[in-house]
Amino acid sequence: MAIRCVVVTPERTEIDRVVQELVLPMYDGELGVRRGRAAMIGRLGYGQMRLHTDTGIESYFIDGGFAQVEKDVVSVLTSRALPAKTLDSKAAQQALEQALASPATTPEQQQLRKAAIMRARGLLRTSVRKS
Amino acid sequence: MANARALDKRRKSIRNIRKITRTMELIATARYKKAMDRAAAVTAYTEQITKVVSRLVAAGAEVRHPLLEVRDQTKTARVLVLASNRGLCGGYNSGILRTIVPHLDSLKQTVPNRIVDVSGKRGINGLKYRGIATDKTYTQFEDQPPYDEIERIAMEYLRQYAVGEIDRLDVVYTKFISTSRQRPVVETLLPLGALQNDDDAAADGGADAGGEFEFLPSAESILEEIIPTSFKVKLFKCFLDAAVSEQVARMIAMKGATESAGDMIKQLSMTYNRARQSQITGEIMEIIGGVEALAK
Repeated sequence: MAIRCVVVTPERTEIDRVVQELVLPMYDGELGVRRGRAAMIGRLGYGQMRLHTDTGIESYFIDGGFAQVEKDVVSVLTSRALPAKTLDSKAAQQALEQALASPATTPEQQQLRKAAIMRARGLLRTSVRKS
Repeated sequence: MANARALDKRRKSIRNIRKITRTMELIATARYKKAMDRAAAVTAYTEQITKVVSRLVAAGAEVRHPLLEVRDQTKTARVLVLASNRGLCGGYNSGILRTIVPHLDSLKQTVPNRIVDVSGKRGINGLKYRGIATDKTYTQFEDQPPYDEIERIAMEYLRQYAVGEIDRLDVVYTKFISTSRQRPVVETLLPLGALQNDDDAAADGGADAGGEFEFLPSAESILEEIIPTSFKVKLFKCFLDAAVSEQVARMIAMKGATESAGDMIKQLSMTYNRARQSQITGEIMEIIGGVEALAK
């Protein structure tokens, strides 16, 4: 009962493999996908994507983007997909502190700050919970 | 007749030059292949984005976004010029410079403020020589421009466009059409214009007419995110096209240089042999002359 997962970044196809199931970090919460899921297009948030494979669970940090599920193929379009084991929680904590300290006096700055905080929190969560 | 020793020295130096140009040709070929692979990867990404957009449109989502709308008045236009850091790539940089000058002249008539950003040392020097002031300059992009850095530049342009600091963004770069054809072009990236080609939409819509998609959280929310992403990827594609075109131009230029050096060596060898022959003949004549004089 497998499903194909394809993760594409602008630089290369990062992952193209068959998995048992996967969990996607959507914009408003996590979404589990198994074989037979109805066709869907979703907006991804910043967070952890977990692939349940025969050998165990593999975890990646997904930096926003889109996911499309169609005919048991999950296509993930994202700026970058980083393996969770390569992440550094101290650096993620620092990024979060920097994002929290950034100015937000104009609506544009507020928006940028909000995005930076969400990204840093996702990064921190993924780096702490690596599997 | 030229001195045989001088000719030999020249022939040796041309042999060295041929070695260098041949190596440069091989390096450019290897880099071109790598750059092409990256361009193919970004094409896969843009195709997926186009598919998502066409499905959103097919589902009845209204594609409206500030980045897509042309502004009534264009007060400030920013032009990004993509040239190379290194020379010896044929007419690559001169083609770009020949395109930017008339483009800026035509912009002068309609847009009061124009700002020029340049990537590549050759572009920076070329514009300086032509007396065109530049704002931001980038020299870090080589044959494999990283997405992270281009995304940062794209975010800055998006911010400037959102707050009204700029009303238009043009990119002047060499579009890669095929290995034998690259053309310097001016492309307007902001406002974005149409997100998808009509042909793609028709082909895609036809294939997926039966499929119904669930949109999470909503079609509008996805559109809100997909349009800036589309801009970033388009800008990245411009950088990649420029990098591929540069390597192709260098490859062809160095191939030509290697062939010319070969021809020159052949020509010089012939002249050298003649010079050597006439020198030997001269020496023999002198000896014969000397012997005859002694015999008398």
